[in-house]
Amino acid sequence: MSVAGGGGGESAIDPKMTAGIGIIGGLIGIYATPINPVLGPLLAALGAVCAIVWGADAIARVASYGLGTGVPSIGYMSLAVGVIGTLAGLAGGIMMGSAYTMIAPLLGVVLSVILGGVIALIAKKIIGMKIPVLVTGTMELTAAAALSILGFSAAIAGSYAMAPILKSVVATGFIGLLFIMNTMAIQHPFNACLGPQEDRTRTLKLAASTGFISMAIVGLLGMGSSKAWWVIAIIGALAWFISLRMFLQASKDDAASVAWSGMWPKEEEH
Amino acid sequence: MDPLIMIGAVTVAGALIGGGVHFLPVGGAPAAIATATGVGTGTAMLAAGSAMTGLITAAAMTGSPLWLILAGGAVGSMLMIGVTMMVGNWVYVWGVGTVPASAKVTTDPITKFNQEKYVTPGTEGHGIPTVCFVSGIIGGLLGGIGGGLAYWAVYESLVTLPAYAPLVSGQTSIAAAMVAGVFALGLFFVNSVIASYNIGGTIEGFHDPKFKRLPKGVVACLIASIVTGLIGVLLLKGGVF
Repeated sequence: MSVAGGGGGESAIDPKMTAGIGIIGGLIGIYATPINPVLGPLLAALGAVCAIVWGADAIARVASYGLGTGVPSIGYMSLAVGVIGTLAGLAGGIMMGSAYTMIAPLLGVVLSVILGGVIALIAKKIIGMKIPVLVTGTMELTAAAALSILGFSAAIAGSYAMAPILKSVVATGFIGLLFIMNTMAIQHPFNACLGPQEDRTRTLKLAASTGFISMAIVGLLGMGSSKAWWVIAIIGALAWFISLRMFLQASKDDAASVAWSGMWPKEEEH
Repeated sequence: MDPLIMIGAVTVAGALIGGGVHFLPVGGAPAAIATATGVGTGTAMLAAGSAMTGLITAAAMTGSPLWLILAGGAVGSMLMIGVTMMVGNWVYVWGVGTVPASAKVTTDPITKFNQEKYVTPGTEGHGIPTVCFVSGIIGGLLGGIGGGLAYWAVYESLVTLPAYAPLVSGQTSIAAAMVAGVFALGLFFVNSVIASYNIGGTIEGFHDPKFKRLPKGVVACLIASIVTGLIGVLLLKGGVF
């Protein structure tokens, strides 16, 4: 199905840089949630966008080898792992006592990485997939998925503890929406840009725009539970506009020519 | 519920889901342009459609005996996959103008109709012939039972915890139902993607030579589901806040 093929080419962007942005940005955003009722959720949402950019870069590195099942499938799988790991981590953090609530988000990310690693090992050892970066790529991808879910959940609930997230993200059903929306935000950039002339800088510009439009929607979802909802929605929408313009400009710059095809003819010729 | 029973139920559910995916007529991108038999989309999308419908119908049966929940999940998944295949066939027959035919077998194992003559040269069949349709319904049945089982196990474990107790005793706890639903959905996606790696993206159904890979796929899903179940136990242990 996927015709990405080839794989392993030099990327225009250092993988360590996107990983750094994703991990550090995501964790700072999530842990900064309690500092201020408006600024905290905003930082959490921005952290989730950082994680989405990292995830889009990780998916591009794995899927450029050609998975045989299309790019979206690994995106759905990683978000499924991310949601299971996040919920289990947040709940598990409570088990250790209230003093350790701080550990809960980190535990969610670690559990997701473990589950992602196990699945990738199964795919490699039992099923026999021949992708050299499958294990590390899937682990990065599941970590990014967990961070994006955590960041957006914290932005909606205004806290990263299990009880508020359960009340305003899970019980309301927003978790299902986050599941599919973050999948789209992470897998769409590479799915749309793949091919022999794929330029990672351009792909990541699209990733920023999908991340920011998700952030704008997350802002609207937080209307009932967070004071910061309008700040998140407006900043997300503005940043989406800017990043989409950057992506369109990059596409135009790389294109041989851009021409308007005109409207279809009035009468069909037979 | 005992956490061990939950892990066991989740493991069995994962194996059922992984096995069920092998029955689906997944055509992938070639089928989307009617050059291969099956529904023209990937496993993850077919699983998403039928899994969500199956989980909604299973969740509607919350509080009923186990067999009713499993039957609810199975009927929902079978209906959704059946509708997807039938409407897909309408598009292939009346929209694209091709005859449903499989290139993997010379005669349809169920209807005994000749297939070879109707396959357009240069393609690997098109549309969803009878055998693929029946196979897809079996896949929906297995997947739906698996999804329902995982939902039941997690819901029944959560609902006994104080944090997830229903607001009115005797009624459904919405928080527990949502957590169980999302967990079952995640399990469904993980196993359907592992199964789809195993079949290499596309399969026609139980008559496809690739179907012989089923045991390997089920073992892979079994191991992945055990790990998922182990992580899921944390949901129960942390539910006492």
